[in-house]
Parts: sequence; structure tokens; C-alpha cells
Amino acid sequence: MKSEFTVANAYRYNRSSPVRWIASHLWRHKFFLMFSVVCWLSAYASFSTLQVIIGRAADEVLNPSSDNALLFIALTAIGVSLMDSMSSLTGAFLLETLGKRFQRDAREELYISLLSKSQVFHDRQRTGDIMARATEDMTGLSDMVIPGFIFIFDSCIGIVMPLLFIASIKVDLLLVPLVFLVIYVFVVRNYVRRLNPVIARQRDQFGVMNAGLEESISGIEIVKASAQEAFERLKFRQNARQFKDYFVQQGRIESRYLPLLMYGIAFGLMFLHCMSLYRQDELSIANIIAVMGLFGVWRFPVFISIFSWSLMENGLNSARRILTIINAETDLDENATGYAGELRGEITFEAVSFGYEDGMVLEDISFHIKPGQTVAIVGQTGSGKSTLTELVNRTYDATAGRILIDGVDVRDWNLDALRSHISKIEQDIFLFSRTIAENIAFGAPDASQELIEQAAKEAQAHQFILSFKDGYQTKIGERGVTLSGGQRQRIALARAFLSNPRILILDDSTSAIDSATEDEIQKAIKRAQQGRTVLLITHRLSQIRWADRILVVDQGKLVASGSHEELLHSSPHYRRIFARYDAALPDIESEALEVYMPSEEVI
Amino acid sequence: MGFFMDGLDAEAYDRQYSDRELVKRIVSYFRPQLPRMVIVATAVVLTAGVDVLLPIIISRSLDTLQNDPASANLLLITSLITVVASLSWVFNMLRQWLSAEAVGNVVLNLREDAVDAITERDLSFYDTFPSGKIVSRVTSDTAAFAQVVVLTIDLMSRILLVGFLLIYLATVSTKLTLVLVTISPFVMGAALGFRKIARDWVTQSRRVLAEVSNHIQETVSGIGVAKTFRQESTIYDEFLDVNNRSYKINLRTGFTFSSIFPILNVIIGFGTAGLLYVGGKTVLSGSLSAGDWYLFIQGMALFWFPLTSIASFWSQFQLGLAAGERVFAIMDAENKVVQTANHVLDQVRGDIRFEHVDFWYNENETVLKNFSLHIQTGETLALVGHTGSGKSSITKLIARFYEFQGGKILVDGHDIRTLSLTDYRRFLGIVSQTPFLFDGTVMDNIRYGSPEATEQEAERAAQAVGGGDWIKSLPQGLHTAVGERGSSLSMGQRQLVALARVLLQNPSIFILDEATASIDPLTETLIQEGLDTVMDNRTSIVVAHRLSTIKNADRIIVLREGEIIEEGSHEDLLAQGGHYAELYNTYFRHQSLEYIEASGELIA
Repeated sequence: MKSEFTVANAYRYNRSSPVRWIASHLWRHKFFLMFSVVCWLSAYASFSTLQVIIGRAADEVLNPSSDNALLFIALTAIGVSLMDSMSSLTGAFLLETLGKRFQRDAREELYISLLSKSQVFHDRQRTGDIMARATEDMTGLSDMVIPGFIFIFDSCIGIVMPLLFIASIKVDLLLVPLVFLVIYVFVVRNYVRRLNPVIARQRDQFGVMNAGLEESISGIEIVKASAQEAFERLKFRQNARQFKDYFVQQGRIESRYLPLLMYGIAFGLMFLHCMSLYRQDELSIANIIAVMGLFGVWRFPVFISIFSWSLMENGLNSARRILTIINAETDLDENATGYAGELRGEITFEAVSFGYEDGMVLEDISFHIKPGQTVAIVGQTGSGKSTLTELVNRTYDATAGRILIDGVDVRDWNLDALRSHISKIEQDIFLFSRTIAENIAFGAPDASQELIEQAAKEAQAHQFILSFKDGYQTKIGERGVTLSGGQRQRIALARAFLSNPRILILDDSTSAIDSATEDEIQKAIKRAQQGRTVLLITHRLSQIRWADRILVVDQGKLVASGSHEELLHSSPHYRRIFARYDAALPDIESEALEVYMPSEEVI
Repeated sequence: MGFFMDGLDAEAYDRQYSDRELVKRIVSYFRPQLPRMVIVATAVVLTAGVDVLLPIIISRSLDTLQNDPASANLLLITSLITVVASLSWVFNMLRQWLSAEAVGNVVLNLREDAVDAITERDLSFYDTFPSGKIVSRVTSDTAAFAQVVVLTIDLMSRILLVGFLLIYLATVSTKLTLVLVTISPFVMGAALGFRKIARDWVTQSRRVLAEVSNHIQETVSGIGVAKTFRQESTIYDEFLDVNNRSYKINLRTGFTFSSIFPILNVIIGFGTAGLLYVGGKTVLSGSLSAGDWYLFIQGMALFWFPLTSIASFWSQFQLGLAAGERVFAIMDAENKVVQTANHVLDQVRGDIRFEHVDFWYNENETVLKNFSLHIQTGETLALVGHTGSGKSSITKLIARFYEFQGGKILVDGHDIRTLSLTDYRRFLGIVSQTPFLFDGTVMDNIRYGSPEATEQEAERAAQAVGGGDWIKSLPQGLHTAVGERGSSLSMGQRQLVALARVLLQNPSIFILDEATASIDPLTETLIQEGLDTVMDNRTSIVVAHRLSTIKNADRIIVLREGEIIEEGSHEDLLAQGGHYAELYNTYFRHQSLEYIEASGELIA
């Protein structure tokens, strides 16, 4: 499988199916599992023995043998119940460890796989979904082990063990319990099948109701301004009513839980069986007490088994969801053997197209950028201008055509070498919740404070960083330290300066509230352009105006290319931008020039 | 175990209800459910009675069987047990079914009332309280409150069960009952002590889970940066650290939870042994029958579980009441905007007059003081000034989102306080800085304010904004889904949708709080063209952040600390060299063509 990140000596799990994956995780800690089964056997043996002891006490009471016999029985009872407690305690501890280790290991496995996935994968995943896998589904896994396995043990051992004891007293007495068990399995399966969909619908409906209300409240200003309060109330009422219907439906299904009735009837029949055996002198009163006690033990496992099944199912579903992510194919790999020379910063697009099955994002794009040039890309939202830049550092791979960096196809570059020379500053600048210094030095963790400050100065960030109480040690996102878009951008620029890339991709959509800040940002960007190739997606007319070249993109196509003056003459798109400034526009020369001609562009 | 930690964060609208008030309020919601509740309560008592009956029947039968085997009617005994078990099932069914209905109805009524109440609140309420908290009061707190019913019934049934058992057992043998009672405090004590420890551990577990979540969330959001800088292994090491810490703390919490039942079992084991011994001796001495003795052993099992759970129920019960109190508090929060009459206007021309208006959000910060302004029908008015100068407040008062403290606001000569708000606001078109879109299509959103408009009319409005060029860039045109809060559209596109929405509504007064976010130059051009269409022949009040807007305005009002200090046209004001000139140099200069042209030499 292709991977962008690997960990040496990672434990290998079987990922061919959810069940095998769970099994291989459990197998890693097999001794915990086996030993806990032993503990549970011992616990149930003790518990059932206790019922027998109670029966023996009854025997002793009815036919006294010696003075101390009763005391001895009582002491045995204490010993047995201690044994029971200790066994179940140890067993639970073992399972607890197993469950939490499973959770830890699986989360680590998921994490490694997340790091190894390409950007394409991450773009398609919603953060919320991945978070749900990493938290709720991990809990689903550990819940399956504990208390899930305990319930399973309880159900299996708790049902089998008393049966064995009953059989040891009188085999005939197995009749009622066995018949009960068979019917019980069918009834419960049916019950769960009816109940689960209702619970799922109810949970979904709760989400719908919550999200709907949240939306109404977030948009309350427009609700009020449009006088649509009644409409929003109606929307909520419908959602709340639907939820109530599911809630009552669940209550109705749960109230008709038949096994409760069946168990009561079986209890009566069991007693009848005992009494008739007593009449035939085949069973003593003491034995009846013991048998009824043993059958009473069933009450718990019989009811707990419902939960154990749903916990198992839940865990299995969690495993399936986690595996879907882990097993998702990633389209790029490290390409460790690829070309890894120095990078100069020459970029060539040769008839590049990119798209998904449902439509093309970019179509037949060709251009050439010399090392050190600054190129501004202009286009409406959704025109494909961001995607265009993302093909350069192989965030995505083109679906047709070639992209050459220094004359070498990006797919032949060593991914590490390629990316380490290309820096990208996103539209939503992401900063880690660490200190400002650590953020600036993110790509070069060993950089000295001096170098960090140098980079910050060049990015016009030094001044405002010092204005914070803790300066460079200010932790981002903590206690009211919020950075404006312009400040975040300058920190990102400093981060890029420190790693000194040959190609800088700058998606600049910050807005300066005031002219002074605008001056600072302009200076920082100007500095960034020195000595490297820059691809600039910007809203700043001044940056566009002074770029070496401007590419105008419209609905995935390159519709115009050239300098400011050239485009003012040739491109209606470009002229429209400047039309609202009362600038005197030159006459448009020819409609024909609007169509991009690659022959002009190739040097 | 969620109930351990449910937050009890207090808000300003929270109030302390007296017990009497609270009970009255609660009763009003439960009264319609009274028949159901009575049946449920009866069923609870009967279930408890029947459950106690079962061991008694068995013990009596054993006595008969032992002393006089011939007289025992086996079938009778069996049918008795079967009937008792069936009855127990029937009562239980009634209890679950009817209480689900009762709870469902109470929650629904409570939710509906809560939402009715909060949609009546004015905007100062929403400014003060985060939407997440309001939502959780309406959806989660109501559910928690309804649990009070279930809990009350459960608690009752358990106390009854324990009570019945004790009374019956005491009539049989006081001595054995005393043994049983002696052990009880230990069991309860252990259960309570465990709760205390568990609460601390659970808090720590939650905290560490939050840490893990944060780390992963940050990794996933910042994966692009991590990949660009090839720092995957650094953050992987950090993850290992957090993940291991979480493992250790979770394990400790798990151990605590796992140990409770074994510990309780040991105590109960001692109890059983004690009863075996003391009971056995008593039977031997002849003052107790074997059947009664059996009853005691069985009684213990029935006895312990309710005892341990009563402890935890109590705190859940309190939490439920507290949740109820929170729901009532949000319903009872008072509105600041109060209308004195309900006049419906046929037509609004858009003549707005502020007369000596005083306004503040809170008493320490006066926003407008003795403020007067006359906006004429059809005028385009630009408001400029530093943050906090009162620009937005003026527009919010016109929309009657907030109450003002002094003076008068007149719309077409009518006191704004006498108007029917629902009716008046139909004449207003408002576009805020970050336009809010509802989940649905672009078309749905354009029609939001005028649901009676046809699709064709909506399409015409959309085409009128920026020549309709923006629609082409939407993947499915006007039927493109906008996503949650419009997230699949760019900020610029959201503004275009909002403009189309206003245009369709055809309001008499247009209020625009201009976006400060930057928008790509092409979309920006479309927005500007759209604004020209919307503002044409309409009273327009704009909180201006765009140079082109102020240049196009009929009149610019320059505000400082809630006062008008200059007014006039762009050229005149700039020539005056006053506060406006200063504002221009601070906020607008960089948007000018001169700046753009000069920026080539700016750095070098």
C-alpha cells in the first residue's frame, strides 16, 4: 500500500476483515484474555458452589450432624464468596487492561495511517468524521472488551455453569432450562431486530432536531429580520414531535420484553418439576433449595445477554468504520527513489487537466514560469485557481498532461525533496497550539532564536509579536490571545522564510482593516517574492497589478495571461475589475486575444 | 456515568425558584399526564408486591411439602407462580409503556414552550448567550428533567420493595431481620465511597480524552502544514505521549469501576454467611421453619441491589430538578424590546427619524447620547467611524433588534415602539457582515424572506444581481446546496445570495453592514454591481468599509463616540481635512487606485 509516512517496527495487524482485525489485536495480548477466562470460570464456580453450600446448610438444618457443622458451612460460604470476588476482580482487571490497550493500540494504528494518507484523502474526509473514529469508535472497541466480554462471559459461563451444577444434582432437571434457552434465543433475536432500528432512528432524529435548532438560533438575526419566527418554530415542532414518536415507539417495544414473562413461567415449571421429583423421593428439600437457587442465578445472565450482543455489534461496527479509514488507498507515496536534485523553481504546465468523476476542475492548462517570477492567479471562487497551485507540490496529481519542475515531471521527484523546496501558505492559515516561536520554527525545529527573529522581522511580524506579554513564547489559542488574519499570515510567512523554499505558493485572502497593516502585509509579501518563484492567489489588486504575469482562470480554463497592461488591453474579465475604479481604461484591442494561445507562452 | 459530571454552568438569566414555585411549575406539565402517572404508580406498587410474593410462595410451598407432602397441590402452586410472574410482566409493561408516553409528552411540551419562548427574545438575549448553551437547554436539559419522572417512579419502586421485604421479614423473624439491617450501612457506605472516588477519576479521564481529541483534531486540521514541512514524525511522537497518558488514566478509572461489585460482593458474602449460621441455629432451635430461612437467603439478593442504587439515584434526581430549573429560567428570561402597540402599516416609504435617542448595551457604556438624525426616503446613507463609534448600533435600532433608553425613533412619522414588529420587519432588507445562509439550496435561501414568491421571481432577482454572472460558477446553479451555514459557498457568494434575497423581498429600507472580509476581485466587482441594483430608489443605510460605497453614497455621516461630527460628500469631507480625512487615511486609502498604482514602489 502506498504511504507518505511509515513507522519502523510497527506491530502488524490483520486488516482483511473487522473480525480478523479485532482478533489480531486481542491475540497481541492473548495471555490477558486467556487468564481472564480462567478467572471468570473460577468466579462462577464459586458462585454456584455458594448455592450448593446454601443447600447443604438447609440439609444440615433439617438433619443436624454435629454442633460445628453449621459454623463450618458458614465459614466455607465466606471463603467461597471471597474466592468469587477475588476471581472476578482479577478477571475484570485483566479485561480492563486488555480493553484499554486495544483502544490505545488501535488509536495509534489509526493515527499512523492518518499521517500516511495523502492530502486528497484528507480533503475528502470531514474532520468530524475522523474525530468520531478516533474517539467514539475507539470507546466502542474498548466497551466491547469491557464490559462486553464480561457480559459475554456472564452469559456463557453464567448460563452453562449452573446447568452443570443442576445436572450434577439431577440430570432430569435440565429439561425446563434447555427448552427455555432455545425459545429465548429466538425471542431475543427478534426483539433486538425490532428495537435497534428504532433506537438508531431516534438518535438520528435527535441530531436533526439539535442541528435544526442550532441553525435557527445562529441565524436568529435573519430569522427576525425576515419575520420568519413562526416558520422556525414550526420546523422545530415537527422535529420534536417526530423524536417523541420514536421515543414512545422504543418504550412500547421495550415494554413488551417477552423473556421476562418466559423466565417467570420457566421458574414455575422448574419448581413443579422439583416438587414432583421430591414426591417420587428423588430429590431432597435441600436439593430443591439449591436447584431453585441455581436457576435464580440465570436471572442475571439471561438479561445481560441482550447488552452483550449489542455491545459486540457496536464494537464490530466501530472496527469496520476504523478499518475503512485505515484501509483507504492513498494515491501518492514517498517515492523515495525519485529525483532529488536542487530545485531552481522553474514551473511548466503542459496541457494539464484535473478532475473527479463528476466533472473537470481544470481543463487543458499550459503555461511556463521562469525561476524567480511572481505569477498572480485571478478568478472567481470555484474557478479552479487553488487546485492549480495544489498540483505543483503534488497535493494532487494531474489526471491528464504533465507538470514539470526544473524540467522534471513532479511524479518523478522524490516527494520529500520536492515538498521540502515548496512552501505553501493556505487561505485558512493553520497554526498549532504552541508558542509563536515553535510555530515559526515548525519546519526547522533546530533553528536558533536569532534565526526565528530574523525570519519574523522579514515577515513584518516581529513588532506585533513583541507587543504580546510573552513575546515569542506566547502560546497561540490560549487565554484570549487571538491573532488577526493578517497576523496569522505574517507568522506563516516567517515560517516559510525559515525553511527558505524555492517555490512559494501563497493563497492570500486576508484583508487588512487599516492601511497601516496593509503596508506591513505588502512589505512582507514583497520580501517573500525576492529570490524565489511565487504563485500568488490574491485579492489584493496591488499585488495583481505588479505581478510579473497574471493568469486569469474562469471555470477551469485559462482565459487570459499576461502583464497588467497587456490584460487591460485584451481581457474583458480583467477590465471589469478595474472598471469600478474611475481609472481611464485603454481601448480593448481585439476579442481574439481573449482566447489564450499557448504558442505565445512557450519560450 | 455521564450524570456524574453534567455541567451546572450558571447564566445571567438563571434564577433561584422557590421549591413551591418549582413544584407548581412541574406539576403543570405533569397534570395532563396524571391518568398515566396514576396507572404507572399503581403498577409500580403492584410489581413490587408481586415480586415479593414469589419467594414467599416458594418458601410456603417448601414448608407444606416438607411437613405435609400429601396435601400439597403441585399444579396449584405452579399456576400460582406462573400467574404471579405474568402479572409482574403485565404491570411492568404498563409501567414502561405509559411512562414512555408520559415522559415523551412532557419533554415535547417543554421543548415546544421553550422554543416558543426563545424565538420571542430580542437580540440582546442571543448576544449574551452562546447558541450551543441555548440549544442544550432546549434539547438536553428537557430530557434530563423528564428523567425526574422515571427516577421518581424507580426510586419509589425500590423503596417500596425494600420496605415490603423488611416488614414481612420482621414479622417472620426479628432476629434475622436485624442481621440483615446491620449489614446494610456497610453496603450503602461502600457504594457511596465508591461514587466519590469514581467522580474524581472520571473527571481526569474526560480531561485526558479531551487532550487526545484535541491532538488528533489539530493533526487532521494541520495535516497539510505537517506534510509541507515533513514534520510527521515529530507530531507522531507527541501523539504517542498523549495516547499513553490517556491509556494509563483510563486504566486506573477502569480498575476503580471494576472493583466496586467484587467489593460489594464480599460484604454481601459475609451477610450470607451470617444468615446461614444464625438462621441455621434458629431453625435448629425450632423457632424458625426451613421455608422462612430460605426466604431470608432469597431476600438478601432482592434486597442489596435497590439499596446500592438508591444512593446514586438521589444525585440524579437533583440533577434532573436542576435541569428543569434551567429550562424554566430560559423560558422566563425577560425581553428588553417591548412594543406598546401593534400597528400594521400598509406601506413604508423609508423616512427615518432619530430624535434625541439614548442607547446603551449595558449601563456602563453609553453608545448613543442624545442622538438625532433624519434619513430621507430613497436616500443612500454611509456611516463611517472607528469601531465602537455606534455605526452598527444605528442600523440595529432601525431594525428594532434592541431597546433604546431615551428619545424617539420615528418611521414614516410612526413611533417605532407602536409598530407590529412582524409586519414592520417585512419592509426591511438586511445584509449582515457575514451573511447567514440556511442549510438548503441557493434558491431556498433567496426565497427565505418571501416564501410566497415563485421560483421564476427568485431567479429574476438572482439574475439582477451582478448580471447573474455568479450563478454560472455555482456547480448546480441556483439549485446548488449551500451546506451547513452556507459553508460550501465562498464568503463573496454568500453575500451575492443575501443580496438576491433582499432584492426578492423588495424592502422599503435596506440595511447593509459591509463585509470586512476580503473577496476575490471578480466576485467583489459582482457584489458592487449587485449593490447598485439593490440600493437604487430605496432608503439605504450602510455601515461602510468599502471606498467605492462611500464614494457612491448620497451622504456620509462621520461618527465618533456616538456623535455625528461631520457629514457631507466624500470630496467635500476629504477637502475639510477633519476626522473623515483621518478615517480615510486609516481605513480607505489602501483601497484607492492611487495606492494600487503606487504600491509598485512601496517596498523595493
